[in-house]
Amino acid sequence: MAVDVKPNISSKAKIHQETEVEDLRKEHLMLDPMPRDEMNQMVMDAMQTTTKKYWAFLIGFGVAVVVLLFGAWGYMIATGMGVAGIRRPVFWGIFIATFVFWIGISHAGTFVSAILRVFKAEFRRPFTRAAELMTTFGLAAGALYPLIHLGRVWVFYWMVPYPNARWLWPNFRSPLVWDFLAITTYLLSSTIYLFLPLMPDLAMARDRTTGWRHTIYKVLSLGWRGTEAEWLRLRKAIGIFAYAIIPVMFSVHTIVSWDFAVTMVVGWQSTIFGPYFIIGAILSGVSAVVTILFVLRSTMKNFDYFIRPEHFDGLGKLILIFSMAWAYFFFNEYILSWYGGSEALKQLLTLHATGPSAWVWYLMIICNVAIPWLFLWNKKIRRTPWIMFIITLLVNVGMFAERYTIIPLTLGHQRSPFDWGIYNPTIVEISIVLGTLCLFIFLYLLASRLIPLVPVWEVQEGQMSHTFRKVGKTEIPSVTELE
Amino acid sequence: MEKNVRMILFKEDQINMATEAIETLHHQGISEKDISVISGVPFSEKILGRPAAWTNVPIIGVSGALVGLIIASLLNFLTPHLYKMTVGGMPLTPIPTSIVVTFELTMLGLLISTLLGVIIEMISPSSGPKGYHPKISDGYIGILFRCPVSTDEETCLELQDLGAEIVDPEEVKQP
Repeated sequence: MAVDVKPNISSKAKIHQETEVEDLRKEHLMLDPMPRDEMNQMVMDAMQTTTKKYWAFLIGFGVAVVVLLFGAWGYMIATGMGVAGIRRPVFWGIFIATFVFWIGISHAGTFVSAILRVFKAEFRRPFTRAAELMTTFGLAAGALYPLIHLGRVWVFYWMVPYPNARWLWPNFRSPLVWDFLAITTYLLSSTIYLFLPLMPDLAMARDRTTGWRHTIYKVLSLGWRGTEAEWLRLRKAIGIFAYAIIPVMFSVHTIVSWDFAVTMVVGWQSTIFGPYFIIGAILSGVSAVVTILFVLRSTMKNFDYFIRPEHFDGLGKLILIFSMAWAYFFFNEYILSWYGGSEALKQLLTLHATGPSAWVWYLMIICNVAIPWLFLWNKKIRRTPWIMFIITLLVNVGMFAERYTIIPLTLGHQRSPFDWGIYNPTIVEISIVLGTLCLFIFLYLLASRLIPLVPVWEVQEGQMSHTFRKVGKTEIPSVTELE
Repeated sequence: MEKNVRMILFKEDQINMATEAIETLHHQGISEKDISVISGVPFSEKILGRPAAWTNVPIIGVSGALVGLIIASLLNFLTPHLYKMTVGGMPLTPIPTSIVVTFELTMLGLLISTLLGVIIEMISPSSGPKGYHPKISDGYIGILFRCPVSTDEETCLELQDLGAEIVDPEEVKQP
């Protein structure tokens, strides 16, 4: 006789609880540990797997850098700045807009890595390096623009503080010299900040490679063994960097904003330009991190284990918050300027929104405010990587439009109507701008096959400190402080 | 007394056994300076039951910041006096605008010297037992120790009972 056996309530509850725990594991990388050797192998496989497609892309972008960036720049050097579209009344054009854009992108690494590290946001662990790389390469691309814009690039060294034959020194009260010092400081410190946590992973790569790769990793890992003393000094150094690089990051974009704010130009003279620029930079930087993470997850082997919807979700929330903060600063800047009653400023703001280039202004508002606000409140959307890719790409389009509005569109409509003009970037300028984008992608593609893009030791450390703790009738995730 | 350098390994989840092994080594009369723990993830001295380690990295970092501050002050306040360009009503060495250069160079000094501190300490000779095994980067915890040749085998047997994997001395190499 068949007996219908029904599970009792306690076993039902147990099954339900196990399913819950399993779901949490699938959801969170930190709760889904894997043996270290397997994780190492996954990262090494991702790094060492190169397909024909990869080489085709790499060569393609390399050629694009040579032709679009160096070719066009070389042509401009040989011919003169006349081939660029900058002329009276607009002397700062797309070069400076793109310079501000790249410096903004470079805020991602520091924000994601340093600030989230200081606040112990655990979800940061698998993608800090991907973000730090963005900072370094974004800065490398951005730092080219003052040189490009200079025209006579061969006299660049006049900016460097050294005692020349006539004892003339650069003017240390000039925001352009501040720019030079701030960008140099940020570039050096973010490169070091990328390198320090990389050492244990370089040692891991050293232990698993032969030939030229082994030699490179051996030299760069500085003989790393993982002794207590080595971990201690690494921890101290990362701690110093995490705290020190945050004010450096704030200073860089503040100083970039001062390039504009210290002038007498209508629309630029603003006391909140510093924080307004910083918020914009973080918005575009964090968005760019999401864009890059989507590309890495889609193209690199095993990255779907490390980069999960929870990461897009977390970053999506940050983007929504920074989009709101950006809108607040924009509105503040706008309303107070408008309220001031300056006729020139009123004309300028009206022109931004209704003039021949109004589409740039609307693009900025739609991409930076409307799109994030419409979509990012939705958890399902935040957890869908391809939608996040499109949204974040659009946010960066919006941020570029913002820089374009602030620079050439503002310069073209100053106090004297007889001196108004419309700036149109030339093909040489557009080539150079696209060339630096290709340079960024080229460097990133190259780095993705040379350095472990996932900080494996940090992921393992995080996984070791996460566990399930039984509280009452259920098990909940809990974090232990191992440091 | 002649001493051997030995290495034992524990898996990443055997941290409690590793700390017990360190205690056993202490009972065997092996001093702290003859023991060194290496691992693929950071474990604090408290977890390992080891004395607090010391690093000069913060001191080197702060020294670098001071050097940066001095250079910035020289650039800000000395160079204008080398070739005076007086502008009517403007001070030769204004303090507010000098803050930017001072801040940037101080931070640059701090950050570069922190890296130098790490490099200097990495390449400086250390007193603990030397050696490495590639399994460390696979998440293993390694304990290196110097023990008298006479008690070598006895110590190893005791550690093996605790679950340690004894590494063949020939496999213990510098990375």
